[in-house]
Formats: sequence, structure tokens, C-alpha cells
Amino acid sequence: MNGSIIAHLALKDWRLNRLLIVLTVAVGLVALLLAQFGGLALVLGGIWFFVALCVLGSMLPASTIVNERKKQTLAFIMSLPVSSIQYTIAKMLSIWALFLVPWLTLLIFALVLIANGHVVPHGSVPMLLMLAMLPLIAFCLMFSTALVGESEGWLIAASIVCNSSYWLGWFLLIRIPSLAANLKAPVAVWNAPAITVLCAELGLIALITGLTLFFQSRKRDFI
Amino acid sequence: MTDLALEMSGVSKKYRYFTLDKVDLKLPRGQIMGLIGANGAGKSTTIRILMGLVHQDAGEVRVLGHSMPAEQVAAKWDIGFASEDMRLYDAMTLGWHMNFIRSIYSSWDASYAQLLLKRFGLRADHKIKGLSHGQRVKSALLLVLARKPKLLVLDEPTTGLDPIARHEILRELTEVMANEDRSVLFSSHNTQDVEQISDHITFIDRGRVIDSMDKEAYLDRWRRLRLEVPLGIDLPALPGVIGVHQRGRLAVATANAFVPDLANAYESTGARVQCVENMTLEEIFVANVAHSREEVEV
Repeated sequence: MNGSIIAHLALKDWRLNRLLIVLTVAVGLVALLLAQFGGLALVLGGIWFFVALCVLGSMLPASTIVNERKKQTLAFIMSLPVSSIQYTIAKMLSIWALFLVPWLTLLIFALVLIANGHVVPHGSVPMLLMLAMLPLIAFCLMFSTALVGESEGWLIAASIVCNSSYWLGWFLLIRIPSLAANLKAPVAVWNAPAITVLCAELGLIALITGLTLFFQSRKRDFI
Repeated sequence: MTDLALEMSGVSKKYRYFTLDKVDLKLPRGQIMGLIGANGAGKSTTIRILMGLVHQDAGEVRVLGHSMPAEQVAAKWDIGFASEDMRLYDAMTLGWHMNFIRSIYSSWDASYAQLLLKRFGLRADHKIKGLSHGQRVKSALLLVLARKPKLLVLDEPTTGLDPIARHEILRELTEVMANEDRSVLFSSHNTQDVEQISDHITFIDRGRVIDSMDKEAYLDRWRRLRLEVPLGIDLPALPGVIGVHQRGRLAVATANAFVPDLANAYESTGARVQCVENMTLEEIFVANVAHSREEVEV
């Protein structure tokens, strides 16, 4: 055996999707730089920043999971010495990494800009993190739906639910008084509600991931 | 080490509109088995179960000594699988796919891969999306053959190919079999392709294996007898004859266990045997399926 098959499959997804990642990072960086001008540019930059992550979250499951079935390349992959659960793990590793690299890059860049700039108050950092977790949760849900549901229809349904729920998440978070009160604070305030929301978001991601592995391990027919 | 490349016993799989029913299959090492069936007969389901991609509801499956689907990873190191509905990545080149497979399999034979590129008229720097159907099938086969698997499982590999491409692929498969340790399971609804390269032939219909034996045994045992039957004579049901179609004074009897005495037996009833004809594999397949369906309906 030449190395781990899981690593080979994960690397393969990286090679096939690197252009999408580069484009997402580029659009996200331009959006963040635009936001530095303040005013309307801040609003536009903020929107583009989130849209770039949301679009990536929808496109990755489509291009790496649904298209593999639709374009019938899955049979090629499953002819290799790999089980369905190893395929699932390889997909999880590669797609998570494909999403996390631009997500983290853009988030770190945003934090650096906030720390060194004067346009966005430092008190908005916890809210930025909580809001940035929403595309991550949505990506996780769409990815799991595509993997377990095995169809474009299920992915489109998940995508509609996620994309139409962002505003609700933003609305609910900004309406929590103890979070909203610190938005314009000169320093980041990590109070109990902020920590609770972040933990709940991480817990939701862990739950979706666990359920995905559970359902995949119970599948009897893979193609 | 077992002498069987693959073995299925009592394998069943139930879907809403289709059931694979107690399939038994044995392929000795070093042989080529042709699996012939009409569209929807159960060939692909059988092959997917063999590959561990679909789990059987009942029955035992062993491939190269490994129990399937539990030991599919170990088994698949030595299985080369290609199917008619398998596609490569459109946006990537054949060379990229070759490197990908080479990085996984230490058994990859680079010089053989180059030889196959030349024989199949392919170029490594061509993107898959620019290839014709025949070139895509050849590319998939190249990726399978160059890693020298012990068992080749090919699900309708020649479907949709032009005669030249079919000939090239069948010639390559025949050469591959020069290695006596290598086994092939080859499914098709094209009996000519199967007849050309197989040692052993299995007919499958409506989810059931209806017959399985050596190719030569089929060709030896199946005959068509053309008879002239005088008025007033009824042809008897003779052992080894699966069907008689009579129109006026002419009758055609199809035998699946022909012996020379069969012609004498008809002569003794007063009928005259005009000729005894060999049957092609396609004719044997069609007659076998029709007979099997009649038996099921009765």
C-alpha cells in the first residue's frame, strides 16, 4: 500500500477544487479591504465577505459530492481500495479543510484589519466570530445533506433552508441585548452570552458531523 | 489459497421493483467468465455486490479469498473494476489520472501503461472532456490494466463502442489473459464479445442465474433440428429438447442436451430430420431465456 488511501482521496479533492478556494479568498480579501473605507463601503464589504463564504459553503458540497455522483466519477473512486466509511472520512477531511482554509484566512485577515484599523470598533469582534460561524454551520449542514441524501435535490433543499436562514441568525444574535450592548465597546467583551452562543454553534457542528458519520456507517448500498 | 477467484452462494438482494434471487456463481482463478443478460437482468447488481458497493440481503460472497462486503478494502487492492457507467474527471488529463492511480498502487507498471497508451492511441496530456466515448473507455481500462490486478471485473465495457475500439479492447483483454493467474468477469448483453474471449459463460435473467457452464459445453450441447413431420404424426416430448415449434409439416426442435441418438429418436416416430444445426451463443442465450421464462410462468 502506498500511503493512506484517505490521504490520497483528500488530496485529490484539493487538486480539483483549488481554483474555487483561490477565488473565494481573493473576493473575500477585496471585500475586507473595501470595508476599511467605512460608511457604505463597510456595509458592502461586510456583505461580500459573508456572501463569499456562503457561496463557497454551497459550491463545495455540490462540486465534490453531488457532481461525483451526477458525473459518475464515484464508481471510479469506489473501485479503489476504499470502504464507504473511509470515503466519508476522506470527504470530511478534504471538504472541511477546503472550507476552513479560506474561512480562517479571511477571518484572521478581518481580525487583523479590525485590530489595526479605526473603522470597526474592537467590541464587534465577538459578534464577528458568532456571525462568521453561521456560514460554517450552513456549510456543515449542506455538506452532510449532500453526503447522506446522495442527490442534488436534497442539496438544493438544504441550500435554500440555509441561505434563507442567515438573516434570521443575524437578526437573533443582534437582538440579544448583552451582545448588542458591547458592539461599539473599545475592547472585545467575552461575556457569558457570547461564550454560550459560540459553544452552541460548535456543538451544533459536532452534532451534524456525528449524525453524518452515523447515517453513513449504516448505509448498505453505496452506488 | 483458494482456487476460486470469486464465489457467490445463495446471494439475494431485494429492491422495490427488482430482486436478485439466490445467485450462485463460481469463477476459478485464471479463467474468463462472461456474464450475459438482457438490460435489467441483474448483471450490474451482481457486480456491485461482488465489489462490496451494494450489500447483499442474504448469501455469501468471497472475492480472492476475502469475504464481501466486510473485507472489500483488502479485496479491492487486487481487483480492477471498470464499468460502462464509470467516468473519469472531465477537467483533468489522462496523465493526471495515471499519476493518481500510480500514487495509490505500488503494482503500477509504468512501461506497460506507456505501451497501452500507444496501443489504444491515447495521449496522456489530453483532458478527459475532449475524448470520445471509445477513448474514455480505453482510458479507464488503461488505468485498470496498468496496475496489474489479479481479478478484472468489467461491467459492459464494450457497450456503445465502434467495432474498431471493441476489437482493440477485446484483443487487449485476450493478451492480459496470457498471465494464467489472472481472472476476468466480463458482463455484457453482446454475446459476440463474450463468446470471443470467455472460457465460461453464465446466463442471467430477471435476477436469476439460469445457466452456467463452459463455453464449449454450450456450443456442444445446444442444437437446432429441422424436421419434416408427415400429417398424422405427433412429435413426442423427448429428453434434452426444450421446445418444438411446428408450422404445418415443418418443425424446429431446440435441444439443450443434444446427443446423436436424438435425431434417431425423431426418425423412429416417422418424422424426417432435414438437418441438425449448430447454434450461436446468441441463439442459445435467447432460447435459454425463453425456456427459463416459460418454466417460471408454468
